[in-house]
Amino acid sequence: MQPRRIFHQALARLAGHWPALSDRLVASFNPREETTIPWCPVRKPLDQLKIALVTTSGVHHASQPPFDMLDSQGDPTLRVISGGTIEEDYTITHDYYDHRDADRDLNVVFPIARLKEMWAAGVIGALSERHFSFMGHIEGAHIQRLTKEFAPQVAAMAQQDRVDAVLLTPA
Amino acid sequence: MGLIQRIIESSGIPTISISINRPYTEKIKPPRSIYLDWPFGHPLGEPGHVAQQAAVLTKLFDALYTIDTPGMMIDVGWRWGRDTYPPASWLGLPANGEGA
Repeated sequence: MQPRRIFHQALARLAGHWPALSDRLVASFNPREETTIPWCPVRKPLDQLKIALVTTSGVHHASQPPFDMLDSQGDPTLRVISGGTIEEDYTITHDYYDHRDADRDLNVVFPIARLKEMWAAGVIGALSERHFSFMGHIEGAHIQRLTKEFAPQVAAMAQQDRVDAVLLTPA
Repeated sequence: MGLIQRIIESSGIPTISISINRPYTEKIKPPRSIYLDWPFGHPLGEPGHVAQQAAVLTKLFDALYTIDTPGMMIDVGWRWGRDTYPPASWLGLPANGEGA
């Protein structure tokens, strides 16, 4: 394995045990402050909503290309996730957090089993077949690729799927 | 992640997110979020803790409807490692219930 990957994985594990280090990593993200806030009201009751998940936890199907962990600005590309098969067929490519718990239970970062239970109980109206995954930790020029190219693709696919609300989970 | 959320919301689909990085979320200003002071890699909690994961989702959906101010972040206030969560009636699980 590349030294860069070994270093980041070790740092991520240390941060899990050492809150001061975790706080320093948080402080190292310093995004541009936004001034406006988009807003779209919810127009239906919960038991009529079709839900899709978006995660930045680096989850993907084993057959999909892994996220690029060698680019220092991250990998802004998208993986489309099948809700029907992801529980039996998933891996996580992400060196910037300790994902050993998520490797044991996908729902820690991508709560697909819980949402299926909510759907079965009639709490939510429907669950989209397609969901969406990124790796997060995007910096520099890749922010533009994320916001101009890949995030709009998610919005377009969710609209095609007639999704009524999107839940987003980080890592 | 907040940048992706903003774009989906701008396209006309309501969104709600979990934040485990408060300073970042305060700058990016997604339209709706709940905040959990939990370790990275655990936005829904601990592996196998079905009741905890269900409680987070219940909070998330509550916030989807109760947040009426763009950019509002609800601090859930649950400590990491606490052992009781409100029961999720839809799971038929008692509080503290742990599943597979």
